[in-house]
Amino acid sequence: MNDQWRWRHWPLRIKLLVLTLLISTLGIALVCGSLIILENQNYRDQMESELHVVASILAEQSAAALLFEDRDQLRSISSSLHQIDNITQACVYDAAGTLLTSLTPPDTDPCPDLSTSPSMGFEKNAYKLIVPVTLDDELLGYVYICSHLQVLKEHIRNFVLAAVGIGLVIQLLLAIVAYKLQRIVSKPIIALSNTAERIAQKHDYSIRAPVSSHDELGRLSATFNDMISTIQLQNQRILESRDSLEKKVQDRTAQLSLANRELEAFSYSVSHDLRQPLRAIEGFSQALEEDCEDQLNDLGKDYLRRVRAASVRMGNLIDGLLVLSRVSRQPVEAERVDLTAMLREINDELAAIGDSLPTEVIIQPDMSVIGDSRMLRVAFQNLLENAWKYSSKKDRRRIEIGARQESDNTVVTIRDNGAGFDMQYVEKLFVAFNRLHTPSEFGGTGIGLATVYRVIRRHHGDVWAESTVGEGATFHVKLPNSIEQG
Amino acid sequence: MLLWKCLLVVLLCGGLLQAQASVRSEYEVKAAFLYNFTRFINWNEPPSEDVPLTVCVLGNDPFEDLLEPLVGRRAHGRFLQLRAPNSRSDIDGCHVLYISQSESSYLPAILDEATRQGMLTISDIPGFAQRGGIVGYVKQGNVIRFEINLLAANAAGLNINSRLLELAAKVIR
Repeated sequence: MNDQWRWRHWPLRIKLLVLTLLISTLGIALVCGSLIILENQNYRDQMESELHVVASILAEQSAAALLFEDRDQLRSISSSLHQIDNITQACVYDAAGTLLTSLTPPDTDPCPDLSTSPSMGFEKNAYKLIVPVTLDDELLGYVYICSHLQVLKEHIRNFVLAAVGIGLVIQLLLAIVAYKLQRIVSKPIIALSNTAERIAQKHDYSIRAPVSSHDELGRLSATFNDMISTIQLQNQRILESRDSLEKKVQDRTAQLSLANRELEAFSYSVSHDLRQPLRAIEGFSQALEEDCEDQLNDLGKDYLRRVRAASVRMGNLIDGLLVLSRVSRQPVEAERVDLTAMLREINDELAAIGDSLPTEVIIQPDMSVIGDSRMLRVAFQNLLENAWKYSSKKDRRRIEIGARQESDNTVVTIRDNGAGFDMQYVEKLFVAFNRLHTPSEFGGTGIGLATVYRVIRRHHGDVWAESTVGEGATFHVKLPNSIEQG
Repeated sequence: MLLWKCLLVVLLCGGLLQAQASVRSEYEVKAAFLYNFTRFINWNEPPSEDVPLTVCVLGNDPFEDLLEPLVGRRAHGRFLQLRAPNSRSDIDGCHVLYISQSESSYLPAILDEATRQGMLTISDIPGFAQRGGIVGYVKQGNVIRFEINLLAANAAGLNINSRLLELAAKVIR
């Protein structure tokens, strides 16, 4: 409950108003207090001097009567003081201090005994005064006057009331003036604060704070505006450069995809168109072999066999190119693929058409990856085929396939005990038509690993290899566990 | 109530004491009055301050030595001195003239002379003020008071303080 009443939660204009009013209240209170004290002192002085005059007149009037001890006259003189309201008691003494006459209302104390030297001056509710009566320097007696302070108190009370009333009126006027004047200070600050809030909420950097003065507040607003201008300019530049960048990227992408499409179309049509003459070569060399075999000598037959072998290799090349072109073109589907089952299937096929070498293939059970099953099959078929092929010159073949999790990726490792390759040429491994072995050593098109590389890259994965010549090669395929379409 | 009674007793006792204190002889009072008259009466043409104010007692002196304390006292800054004129013709130079009752039968002549010389005449001869004297003692009960004949005072060139007039039992004007 208290929190919002605390000073730091107050709005600025309330703070200014309260400060101003506190100071004015203090000022008015001090002025009123001083005036009251002064007035009290003045009024006391005035009253004292008036009473002195009255007492002196009384003393002068009483002198003759005292001399002639005329008590009647003394009584009539002192009773004339009746007419002065605030005099409550008047006593006349002779020179010996004997009371001669007194004007004493019934409910007041009797005249003081002069021999006990009673206290004079201001007391709690009265002012007391003794004046000697003299004639030609001869002391004739004393006049005692007591005045109540009702008038003084009433006067001071009225004065206090008037002072408080005037103070309140002035305070009210000051409050109105202060309320009007605090805006001079608070208005620019509130305007600045509102502007800043609006800019923050709308992200509109074209808004400017009003600059109304040339003092610190004006400078603050101006500086704030400068800052906002700078931000606006920078923002504009960022947006512009982003736009141009985007446009550039779009252009490049469009160009690139156009080129890609053209390239793919070209390679597809080339592959396709190459089949036709190849088939003719293949068909006619077969017909030549069948129909004119007896007309050819051994050299002719050997040439013919070479022609047929070359045409088969060319057919494989064209098939590989078609596959490569297909994996580049086709969209990638994201599905869970049972890698263990797929690898076993491929391995079984290879085992069925393969040589009679003793073979040990270890495939880790329960491996699965995310990706396009047809493409992944092409990739792993190539890798497994390579493993079989390059280990065919060993005494026994050993292939190990396992997978491990690495952050958000699955890394599949295919290790064989085959010929391996020189790490010097590792960079050429996945480039199309680059072969690290001669066709006489190991047959191949030089497109397989390029296709693998393309498939894995299209899955946003990575593929790399390590090897020692003669001791086998290890291929690593890293595939992300989740794959965004694209 | 008790308090009031006590107060009353105290007041009464006070009054009694005062009464006893003021038991002074008639001439003691009259002597004091005489001195006081000189202080409240001014001479229109006052003699210089060096000249003492001479108080004369004409006839049988009823004051005996009661006036002696006056000698050396001052009135209007002038010292007082006493003189006892031998006869009615020996009153020259007096400023204040007390006329004893023994001189009652010669009063008109004495007053004539005194008025001419601007003297303040005082006496306790009955009806003194009415007969042309300036200040006459009268006795009201036990209290000594005085009467003033303002006309006579004016004739003698004397100024009487109004305070004194206020105290007079009777003022003839």
